[in-house]
Amino acid sequence: MNETTVEKFRVAAQMIGAEVHSCGSGLGTANATGRHFSTSNELSFFLQELAAGRSICASTLPEELQAHLSGLVVSDLSTAADATLCISFADAGIAATGSILVQLTDPAERAATALATKHAVFLRTSSIVPTLRDLSASLKAQLLGAGPTYFSITTGPSRTADIERVLTIGVHGPKELHILLLEGE
Amino acid sequence: MADKRINTNINNTFLRKALKNFATAYPIARAKAFEGIDFAALRHRIAVSKLAGLQRLPELIAQFTASAEKSGAIVHFCRTPEDANRTIHAIIQSKNADFLVKSKAMTSEEIELNHYLEARGVRCLETDLGEWIIQLAGERPSHMVMPAIHKNKEEVAELFSAEIGQECPAEIPFLVEAARNALRRGFLSGQVGMSGANVAMADSGAMAILTNEGNARLVTTLPKTHIALIGVEKIVPSLDEALDIIDVLPKNATGQKLTSYLSFIKGPTVGDDRELHIVLLDNGRTDLAANPDFQAALQCVKCGACANVCPIYEIVGGHVFGHIYVGGIGLVLTPFFHGFDKAEEILKLCIGCRKCNEVCAAEIDIEGLIVDLRDKIRKPFGQKFMFGTMMKNRKLFHTALRAAYLAQKPFQSACGRIRHLPLILNRETANRSLPPIAEIPFRDLILKRKVLPAPAKAEKVLFYSGCLADFVYPEMCSDTVESLEKLGYSVAFPQEQSCCGIPARYSGEMDVAREMAKLNIDVLLKEEADFVVTICPTCTMSITHDFVKLLADDPLYAERSKRLAAKTLNYSELAARKIPPSPPLSKGGETAKQVVTYHDACHLKRGCGVFEEPRQVLRELANAEIQEMSDCDKCCGFGGSYSIKYPEISQEVLKNKLANINETGVGILAVDCPGCKLQIEGGLEASGSKVRVEHTATLVRERME
Ligand code: SF4
Ligand code: SF4
Repeated sequence: MNETTVEKFRVAAQMIGAEVHSCGSGLGTANATGRHFSTSNELSFFLQELAAGRSICASTLPEELQAHLSGLVVSDLSTAADATLCISFADAGIAATGSILVQLTDPAERAATALATKHAVFLRTSSIVPTLRDLSASLKAQLLGAGPTYFSITTGPSRTADIERVLTIGVHGPKELHILLLEGE
Repeated sequence: MADKRINTNINNTFLRKALKNFATAYPIARAKAFEGIDFAALRHRIAVSKLAGLQRLPELIAQFTASAEKSGAIVHFCRTPEDANRTIHAIIQSKNADFLVKSKAMTSEEIELNHYLEARGVRCLETDLGEWIIQLAGERPSHMVMPAIHKNKEEVAELFSAEIGQECPAEIPFLVEAARNALRRGFLSGQVGMSGANVAMADSGAMAILTNEGNARLVTTLPKTHIALIGVEKIVPSLDEALDIIDVLPKNATGQKLTSYLSFIKGPTVGDDRELHIVLLDNGRTDLAANPDFQAALQCVKCGACANVCPIYEIVGGHVFGHIYVGGIGLVLTPFFHGFDKAEEILKLCIGCRKCNEVCAAEIDIEGLIVDLRDKIRKPFGQKFMFGTMMKNRKLFHTALRAAYLAQKPFQSACGRIRHLPLILNRETANRSLPPIAEIPFRDLILKRKVLPAPAKAEKVLFYSGCLADFVYPEMCSDTVESLEKLGYSVAFPQEQSCCGIPARYSGEMDVAREMAKLNIDVLLKEEADFVVTICPTCTMSITHDFVKLLADDPLYAERSKRLAAKTLNYSELAARKIPPSPPLSKGGETAKQVVTYHDACHLKRGCGVFEEPRQVLRELANAEIQEMSDCDKCCGFGGSYSIKYPEISQEVLKNKLANINETGVGILAVDCPGCKLQIEGGLEASGSKVRVEHTATLVRERME
């Protein structure tokens, strides 16, 4: 994926209050903000830190990611209401707005991503597109496919400005959104 | 009643401050959100696709219903609010439930669902923070996107303390956390969830919901039954049209590029007997969609921008300026959704500045619809005699104005201006003085004027002065004629011209307005001329737009009105044609530049699309340097008879304008409208300011000496 698209994504996501980290060897070096994890251990340690001793739940992750996280104790999604951290995987990123596309057709995953205090999401840099429009063909295919579906485009943490228009983070959904960029396909 | 509420809200300092801060912050955030995006093209696409959809709404409803049912949803079409309430209650009962958790849905406010359900033993919990606040307060939203903008943190703390049973300090982060915890319990125990939708797609049967807080995801997930209450006008053909709406909504609503959460939902998601009920609300929408005069109102995507920029909303807030739906479009939708009786009062509150039209995400002529609706609700009232009998009779009208010259004499102060009017009219002069009606109107002055021989090939111009300039500012008219002649035009003033009919049109007297239009068309077409010039933007707008619209179906006048419209210009447009002037205007070489600030008249900028020419004319013909004020194109609060009907509102709007003028520190304000001059000059005078207010024509004429 084009370097500038990834950079745009990073800037836009940070601007809207998400934290963007990178996992892998070649990523993140250009950017001072955000963390950079070159080993599974570093990553696991970071996620453990985020959970602050409380439970972690995770949705179904691609296999190689599960391998990365083998060191973590991950509990069942149904415990999400008590979990501090929910880990999931995004299908795509949108550079213009720093958004991520998350599949949430499973109600348990949906609840988990909304109930946990912190949300950490893996995103492959190769799946970042410039704008929402660039996803329209695949979204259309999904919407017109058979059976029910539910997906979300998430941009930063939960926010409100309903009291005196003062921006306040974390009203119902996660108070922190961590995007973990994965290099490559 | 309405009057009392208007005054209460004008005097509510918090509300005023909140709305003013928002009015200041919004345009900046909005501009930033739209950076790099062609707003005009985007909203035009939305307007076109929404209108096409409305014209085949029943078909779209059928297609959406079929697709949604195919995905496993149960669709209920409800013609009336009663139908919808009953249907929703029945769904809740079928689940043996007595507790409904809700995310934001204006449609639910529209049908007063909470009220209906609570009376039947079903507890409702609003989970959008703003909605929860007003639910606890027992109020209605005062803005479509920011329902609790009228509440301050102290009030919120008090409401929360009472609800939670624990003292809450008036600190916003604390209050938000308290709401998170209290509402979390509600989500987890709610048996049925309800949402609205921002857009629905006919081809897939899916809906999209935009929120910032994340409550919609919880409401549509934790309870196994999800009810979506959706107005049928929200249905668009496919994702393509939906994406345009999603693109524009957050940017136009609050100046955000995108909300935190944008969810697409199709069908009940699988497992553990989940159900999705889609309640499609009609409540007059299919009829309205089939009404060619007003169908455009349903193009609305409910972004709330028309309220955000409305100078009157900024003063009185949404509880006065609207019913359930607020802002400009609220005025338009109320008669169709809630009855004409609910709309009569509020339709009069619009001052006609067209600021809403400029930002509307769906390119709706909101102001035009408001004016047209007044015609529909017209009932006999006081002004009837005035408009019906007097205005149509030019001589009678002009005689009455001359008589007024004598009647006003006792009220004039030493400098000739009117500071106090008797009895009920004195509200009018509380914070501004009024100029008197002139002893000799322009129509008489010009008869005495020596006609100069026009240059051989001079273009001929007919001068249409407008009543206010004619009877109150005759010197403004003289300046117009002199400066145009100096620029090389030959100018004539047809004596039979009369009022353009706008006051009648704004009061819903369309027949009178039509008569006035015909009369003036005859007068202005009788004499051969290259141009018709006006110095009152309302008259310009009237001739170039309203006459054509009013007479579109008239076999004879449809063509005539277009012919007249095509050659009618505002003063500055006509003057700008002669830049650079030859010979130069002033003989005496370079004079010092004068610094002026410029106020854009609503009807000139947004009614006629003219805002460059006046500045060019000031720079090139009046040797002026322009120092712009902030909000230079925001209404001054005049609005013709508006300032007499609602003097309190008018004067509050004026105060904002005066503050912006004073901030520039400039000694001359240039305007292109006698109404703006009357309003602003009066306000400046009453506040002791020395700033001069002059029509551009006067500043050009002065330069010629
Ligand atoms: S025309 Fe002006 S006063 Fe009327 S609704 Fe629109 S913005 Fe408000
Ligand atoms: S009328 Fe236009 S500006 Fe007002 S809410 Fe609707 S779309 Fe937005």
